[in-house]
Amino acid sequence: MKILIKKTTYFVLSFIIFASTACTDILDLKPLDKISGEALFSDPDGVKLYMADLYYYLPVEDFNYDPIKGFHVTDGIKDKNTQGFVTDSYSLDGAESAWGGTFAESDLLWWDEAYRLNRSVNLLIAEIPNLNVDEAAKKKLVGETSFIRAYLYYGLVKRYGGVPIITDVQEYIPGETDNLKVPRSTEKDTWDFILKECDKAIANLPLDASEWGSSDRRATKWAALALKSRVALHAASIAKYWLQAPLSGTAVDEGLVGIPDSAANRYYLEAIEASDSIMSSGKYSLYKPNPANPTEAAVNYQTLFETPSVAPEEVIFIKGFVRAGNKTSHNYDWWYQPQQTANGRAHPGRMNPTLDLIDMYESYDNPGYSAPVVTTQDGMVGDANGFVAKKKYLHFNSPEEIFKNKDARLFATINYPGAVWKDVKLVIQGGLVKPNGSSIIKTKGSYTHTDGITYYTYGAESQFNYSGFDSYGAGNMTRTGFLLRKFLQEKNDVAAAWNQSTTDYIDMRYAEVLLNYAEAVIESGYNANNAQQKAKNALNSIRFRAGHTVEIPLTIENVLRERRVELAFENRAIWDMMRRRTMHTEFTARRRMGLMPLLDLRGTSPQYIMVRMYFESTITFKEKWYYRAIPGTGANGLTQNPLY
Amino acid sequence: MNKQVNLKQITLLLLFIFGCINLYAQDQFVTIQLRNASLKDVLKTIEKQTTYRFSYKSVVIDDKKDITISKTKASVSSVLDEVLSKKGLEFSIVSSKSIVISDKMEIRSNSKTSLNRISGVVKDQNGETIIGANVAIKGVNVGTITDINGTFSLDVPESSTLIISYIGYVTQDIKVEKQNIVVILREDSKSLDEVVVVGYGTQKKGNLTGAIASINSKEIITTTHSSLAQSLEGKVSGLQIRQNSGGPGDFDTNINIRGFGSPLYVIDGVPSGGASEFQRLNPNDIESISVLKDASAAIYGLNAGNGVILVTTKKGKKGKPQFSYSGVTGVQTLTDMPEMCNAAQWAELYNDSRVNIMLSDPTSVLGPAFTKEELEKWKVGGLGYESTNWYDMVIKKYAPQKQHNFSVRGGSDAVDYYISFGTYKEEGLLKSNDLNYNRYNLRSNLTVKLANNLTADINLSGRYDVKRSPGEFIWIYRGAFLALPTEKPYANNNTDYFAKVSDNNPLPLMDEDYAGYNQQKSKNLLTIASLTYKAPFLKGLELKGSFTYDTQIKMNKSVTKTYNVYTYDAVNDVYNATKINSPAKISNSNDDNNKVMIQAQTTYNNTFADAHTIGATLVYEQSQGFYRYSWLQREYDFYTNDQINQASINNQLTDGYESQSASVSLVGKFNYNYKSKYFIDFAFREDGTYRYASDNKWGFFPVISGAWRISEEKFIKNNIGFINNLKIRASYGKVGENAGEPFQYAFGYTTTGSGGYEMTDGSFTTGIAAPSITNENLTWYTSTITDFGLDLSLFNSKLNFEIDFYQRDREGLLATRNLSLPNTFGADLPDENLNSDRVRGLDFAITHKNKIGDFSYGISANLNYARTMKLYVERSAYRSSWDKWRNGNTYRWSDVVWGYDNIGQFQSLEEIYNSPVQDSKAGLLPGDYKYSDVNGDGLVNGSDMLPSFWNGTPKLHYGLTLDAQWKGFDINALFQGSGKYTIYFSGTFTNVLWGEYNTPAYFYDRWHLSDPYDLNSEWISGKWPATKTVNYNSNNVRESSVFRKDATYLRFKSMEIGYSVPTKLLNKIFLETCRFYINAHNLFTICDPFLKPFDPEKIEGAYSAGQNYPLTKSYNVGVNLTF
Repeated sequence: MKILIKKTTYFVLSFIIFASTACTDILDLKPLDKISGEALFSDPDGVKLYMADLYYYLPVEDFNYDPIKGFHVTDGIKDKNTQGFVTDSYSLDGAESAWGGTFAESDLLWWDEAYRLNRSVNLLIAEIPNLNVDEAAKKKLVGETSFIRAYLYYGLVKRYGGVPIITDVQEYIPGETDNLKVPRSTEKDTWDFILKECDKAIANLPLDASEWGSSDRRATKWAALALKSRVALHAASIAKYWLQAPLSGTAVDEGLVGIPDSAANRYYLEAIEASDSIMSSGKYSLYKPNPANPTEAAVNYQTLFETPSVAPEEVIFIKGFVRAGNKTSHNYDWWYQPQQTANGRAHPGRMNPTLDLIDMYESYDNPGYSAPVVTTQDGMVGDANGFVAKKKYLHFNSPEEIFKNKDARLFATINYPGAVWKDVKLVIQGGLVKPNGSSIIKTKGSYTHTDGITYYTYGAESQFNYSGFDSYGAGNMTRTGFLLRKFLQEKNDVAAAWNQSTTDYIDMRYAEVLLNYAEAVIESGYNANNAQQKAKNALNSIRFRAGHTVEIPLTIENVLRERRVELAFENRAIWDMMRRRTMHTEFTARRRMGLMPLLDLRGTSPQYIMVRMYFESTITFKEKWYYRAIPGTGANGLTQNPLY
Repeated sequence: MNKQVNLKQITLLLLFIFGCINLYAQDQFVTIQLRNASLKDVLKTIEKQTTYRFSYKSVVIDDKKDITISKTKASVSSVLDEVLSKKGLEFSIVSSKSIVISDKMEIRSNSKTSLNRISGVVKDQNGETIIGANVAIKGVNVGTITDINGTFSLDVPESSTLIISYIGYVTQDIKVEKQNIVVILREDSKSLDEVVVVGYGTQKKGNLTGAIASINSKEIITTTHSSLAQSLEGKVSGLQIRQNSGGPGDFDTNINIRGFGSPLYVIDGVPSGGASEFQRLNPNDIESISVLKDASAAIYGLNAGNGVILVTTKKGKKGKPQFSYSGVTGVQTLTDMPEMCNAAQWAELYNDSRVNIMLSDPTSVLGPAFTKEELEKWKVGGLGYESTNWYDMVIKKYAPQKQHNFSVRGGSDAVDYYISFGTYKEEGLLKSNDLNYNRYNLRSNLTVKLANNLTADINLSGRYDVKRSPGEFIWIYRGAFLALPTEKPYANNNTDYFAKVSDNNPLPLMDEDYAGYNQQKSKNLLTIASLTYKAPFLKGLELKGSFTYDTQIKMNKSVTKTYNVYTYDAVNDVYNATKINSPAKISNSNDDNNKVMIQAQTTYNNTFADAHTIGATLVYEQSQGFYRYSWLQREYDFYTNDQINQASINNQLTDGYESQSASVSLVGKFNYNYKSKYFIDFAFREDGTYRYASDNKWGFFPVISGAWRISEEKFIKNNIGFINNLKIRASYGKVGENAGEPFQYAFGYTTTGSGGYEMTDGSFTTGIAAPSITNENLTWYTSTITDFGLDLSLFNSKLNFEIDFYQRDREGLLATRNLSLPNTFGADLPDENLNSDRVRGLDFAITHKNKIGDFSYGISANLNYARTMKLYVERSAYRSSWDKWRNGNTYRWSDVVWGYDNIGQFQSLEEIYNSPVQDSKAGLLPGDYKYSDVNGDGLVNGSDMLPSFWNGTPKLHYGLTLDAQWKGFDINALFQGSGKYTIYFSGTFTNVLWGEYNTPAYFYDRWHLSDPYDLNSEWISGKWPATKTVNYNSNNVRESSVFRKDATYLRFKSMEIGYSVPTKLLNKIFLETCRFYINAHNLFTICDPFLKPFDPEKIEGAYSAGQNYPLTKSYNVGVNLTF
């Protein structure tokens, strides 16, 4: 018993000791997932990781750019997909298969994220002088951060006009916001700031990507020059064409939107000089510039976009996609696959190139002119009101015959009725004409011919065996008769799951530089340094690469047609129309067109007729949409853009 | 007999393994030194030093101070012999807890009359014997006490009546009619002496000053369900429970106290797990559950801002081992389900939609979907045109569930023990039989007496459960609803080839062998070891130290297999395959959550001068958490086995993270009452946490509460006899709740949330993101809870009322000041503790219990009504008074939804032309909904919306329990419901032909053209608007009463009918009690007819699509045995 009492006493004692030595230092925990700025920036490898983040947030309108949701939609933070929208869904050239292509005020926005990137890049710029690296490395970082800044503000100015230019890391003192408010610069000053940043980048960036060591996809002097060429051309166009769609209001009075046309030629000259620096450096050339025939030209062109790394001579700046899964992968092979090769993917077939674009392509017989698709014996191409039984249509044994002799780039850009894609012949058919002249068009049905064969509206019985016109399934089928081929993987199988495409995106390539040069020269009338001839050569070299053999003259029409055809679906078309102020004229109650093959059973043997038709209702573009509304003006105190 | 003995022997052996246990009583020793003391003093001294308690059989213990005694380590019997014999009294030691003192003369004098020797046993409703129950003869001061086996024997005069009583049970009168009597005492659950578990201690129900509801084991287990929450729904006032889905092993039921939010769960004094773990407790192991509904939760400080649910598990009980088995088995079936279109209906609707688009949009380029001939074929349904009922192919009618529970409970002087093992098995409703859930619960609660004043409690509880399912249910269920009835499950009707269909073919998807499976395993081990020391030097002082280790492990495995679906090419007679789920993948995840907690507690309770009762508790508590998560995945080039090392090493992915947490707390609690009439309680908790910057680490949470038992005042006690309790209560206090991510005060760069770039061709560089602004000021938010309550018991506690009014104000809810920060700053402002809100509500409960002869019954009803209002909301200035009216939410109830006022359907095109413009997006057709142009501007737009609807959270909860016992029969029925909320689906169930998939059959009754191939034909009216696909139907699915339905419902929640076999019969088969029962769950529901097929209790689910697992009803049979 005594022992027990003793034990009990010990227990009580130890209990009291324990309770009185309550330790609170267990609360001093440290976060397990944060590292300090000193640790990060004192090592070039750390800086590289930080830089990877900056590049990621660059406003590159790549495969993951959605005009509605913004950039890099696959990062898992936003809804993971673009629903198949790209900026070209709003251009003359393509339409989304399920949704209306009406441009809206809420599209093409990019603001908060832009200034977040601005803050991040400013943070590094402020750190550069303190970094423990040699001067050469610092110089490269100065160039690289300027490149990022120029790219960033270009992304802003083309959307909003003049914006606040903030070059330091603003510090927030709780409760105080007035010191953080920075007014908008004029549109002209903003463009000038970007060009200056370009110059800084050009002066400091390495001449060759290899100077980055193993990080060969970082910006070079040439990328900065190509960017400058694009930026200056954009600024020049706005100066020259601003009056095509002039706006009025405070923002205009203060110069926040609009550039006086007097500035146009200086900007054109900057575009010319930047482009010329690349052209005369000998560093870049077109990929496979002299094909043996159009067929080879088509193969080369398709390969360039399927595997951009085959063409270092042409590709100047690339946004790489490398890991299936998320962040650096995309869904082009999901959204744009024809239904027949969708292989279980829900909602394929989303990009429908328009007949408006197809008509732009030249025929080799008639160089220098668009060759609209002729469907009737009278050769008229104006009527797109659909099938009329008594009309005299041209008959084809196979629908693809109608595209004979067209520019090679058509076949490498577009999947058309009768095209062979991934060893499957694409069945794109909108209906059939019965022997008695009555027709079944875009309505599920069949007709059993006297020959005993049953013919189906869409060219096959099962919806998995055709790719066009059936409206069942919320946009799985093309409604224009065309599908996208450019950028898609034909040879490689991409897993039929989300975020599996890793095709690299070419952001800047030599062909665009040539076209920028040609446009700037012809628009400014610049003729020093043999510029006119050089521009004509630039234009024609691109055409020769596409299998053309005949030179065409340097005219603005020819340059613009080349831009549309050569750069089709590279997310340039909208911005070309924006900067040249042609959106509102092109989209005045515009109905875009498609081409519908019908199986005509009236003859001795079934043959195809092709019907030009409108596939949607009208689209109109308001002039104020050349500038987006500035968000958050209540808090940032900025002058709003006109008419918002 | 042998069987019984064997079982007991095995159990004894088991107990022996757990620890050396002495099952036999032994005499206890006392040291006693008293001078001029009364007998009372002597007995009290003995009581203090031993486990004995005295009871008296018709004797008067006088107060004469006439005893002087001095003994050291003397046996109790020797002491009693000495003091009692002098007074003509005698005693008998009944058990280690009970000594009965009786008058030698009394017995003798009684024995002169004619006496019959009777014997009997006293048991509770569970058939467990009651030790120490008083058995007295009515009218005479003679009686006895039941012994360790619950039996008694007594000499009684003829035709006398026995009064059997025991604390916590309803006293029973029994006429002596036979020699052997079995008495079943019914627990007096609403008794004021009932002990309720409260924060860091217990309290008599009659002495409570806070709003604390409690429910005991018996009331819990009347419902058979895998989720403990289902066994509580509708039974506890103020406890809001909503079953979100009915999937086996889902445990996503919403549990919420008074509309406050997710509560803190405390199991045997230790915060452990969340709602999901709580629901997996074995209901058979639970002694009681208390719900701290008001500021009494403050004693749990941070994390208790939404109230606390305290679970107390069963402990051992002195007495011989009581073995019990309970088993229940039954079937589950859907409560209801919406019917989908058949092939002909779908084809007609789809065709309509194309025709109607031509009518509403003249520029439309679409024609009818089917030719007239094709449509006719679907209507006739000939070869190749049969309708497919996908739903029936996927969902089966009934799925089984089974539950077994085995326990042993008992105790000796040295050890009390409760050990149980339970299993639960449930199958899902998929026809593939590949969805199921299994659970195993093990518990061992031991109380070991180490020395006279020192006891150790060791509670071990383990749980292991597995849910297995073929992929995610929603996609299978979606397939069952959405696959077209015009499509066939197999290509060319050849069952070797699953057909490729427009949505997922649900048949291979629900089949593990094709699509793979998910397996979710969880393991939990909660170990609580504590030592309690009752200080001998100061009466009422108790010290307790405890150590807890709590580990929760989740291990998920997912196998996604690649399978083929086919299209049949009739021309070439080949099946073309499409791969689904390519590439095949396998992934494992491990989630390891550990908590170590140390508690030290000092309690002092005493009563002075028979009037002043005080209680004080001080607790030191520290808790540390360690969490680690890891995930790994591989892809297969070709599927081999469901083993990670059998998959390809290409494309391996891994992920993982760790976190730590810690808290230190000091808790104090002081109770005072004067003559059980005036009560005042004060408690506080000083909580320290790792989460915030050093200036914000410590918080203080006090609560003060008081009560006045008016019924103890003479003016009631002496005048109004039928009031046996009338008490008013009030409490006020502050509670905290952690807010925001931890470590926001620390500056640092991180790779989480950053981008990444292909810096080198072919390799990805993970980016490092700039830090966000550091947040030094962040802290928890504070809830201030006020509660006023009234308790009333009438007619000997036969009728009880309880009502509480409460208000909770929260301050410091997180919000950012981003509205005032220029959006050119480039970083988001951190969260700050800016906003505030308020919940106001009332709880009401009424119970009635009575017994008429052999028939006893009870009725209890409860109701809770609560609403939430925003107080301060950080936002920019209103632009206009309209903006304030429309978008403002400060000082407004936040539980309303704005919508349009539906005023019928357009009857003609003419009416459309002459009405305000409804929706500019698409041309309207007859049958389309017409909404009121409230502001009369000729246009129905956002400005015409009104705050017309309740939101989706029920504001009203009610329950009604009826129970009755008659002889061996018992019945329990529960009605339950919720009200004042709405349900609004998006997707298939509101948008006709959503995604152009199959659509609910109710949409078939619609406006349509009499001849869809003639656009000028007559309109035929119907219930629903003319069929238009989503893009053209926006007018009809606008927020209005058309699709936002009041979900108020009342359901017959559960019903149980039991029969206890008479003991006489049982003795022959060596059973002590045996009860059979049948029960049913979710029998029927009364609600809006539109919602009925969906079940109004279920939430809308992912994508608000209503395609989460349906709620189920079940029918079961069960048995409870003790032996």
